[in-house]
Amino acid sequence: MTFHLQQRITATEGILPTLQNIVTTVSLDYRLDLKTIALHARNAEYNPKRFSAVIMRIRDPKTTALISASGKMVVTGAKSEDNSRLASRKYARIVQKLGFDAKFSEFKIQNIMGKGPAYSHGQFSRYEPELFPGLIYRMIKPKVVLLIFVSGKIVLTGAKVREEIYTAFNTIYTVLCEFRKP
Amino acid sequence: MSYYEFYRGSSIGMALTDSLDELITSGSITPQLAMKVLQQFDKSLADVMVKQVKTKTTLKGHLHTYRLCDDVWTFIVKNASFKMEGNEMVSGQRIKIIACKNGEAVEAGKK
Repeated sequence: MTFHLQQRITATEGILPTLQNIVTTVSLDYRLDLKTIALHARNAEYNPKRFSAVIMRIRDPKTTALISASGKMVVTGAKSEDNSRLASRKYARIVQKLGFDAKFSEFKIQNIMGKGPAYSHGQFSRYEPELFPGLIYRMIKPKVVLLIFVSGKIVLTGAKVREEIYTAFNTIYTVLCEFRKP
Repeated sequence: MSYYEFYRGSSIGMALTDSLDELITSGSITPQLAMKVLQQFDKSLADVMVKQVKTKTTLKGHLHTYRLCDDVWTFIVKNASFKMEGNEMVSGQRIKIIACKNGEAVEAGKK
């Protein structure tokens, strides 16, 4: 499926958006003592006065996790779905090693962000240069938000699966070509 | 107000503790007095670090581990090199920095 889609999109001058950030959530299904985690894990920050979760980072895959006392965890920063899953598993393993009976359940991708290079549609578009220098395009199908900049750079976000990013990019690409600056 | 006791582990703190121990064994002072001296030492050193020490140093290296818990930052820096004022260089393979908040939110560090 992915393969076919990519084939079709490569037909439009071979430009494919690259995935920049993936946000996933997972439940460790176990109440955690955050102070124990902060004291014993490496690269952890815990300042309950400012934020009620432990912020932990690992280098490979380079990601950041927010771990809350309820056992829910948010992992951000991964560049692919597989990396995000791997990172989440690593964090769960770290928590397990600290003596908590953590599981790995309800893993879900919440957001995928892509960035495409490239070179406007009234009812979907908002362009307020005083507020934000990019044009904000809320695509309905797939449900993806696009930020389009004069430089030609496009940021795509709000997708739940990789294909949505590709389809949205493909759709907008044809539109944008009409508005190419001379 | 209480003060951190970690400066007691510095060379000047160790020297003071040794001297006080000697004075106690020889019977010149009471252990209570020695405790008072050490408490004053904690307070004075904290003051001096904030108000009088103006020397700066820059540190470069690979941050291996960091941690923030209970307002205490811990850093383990690998292949660190300190560049002192006067261009003196000191380096270490693995350096641990513990930084605590002071009363006036000034960080105090120790190796």
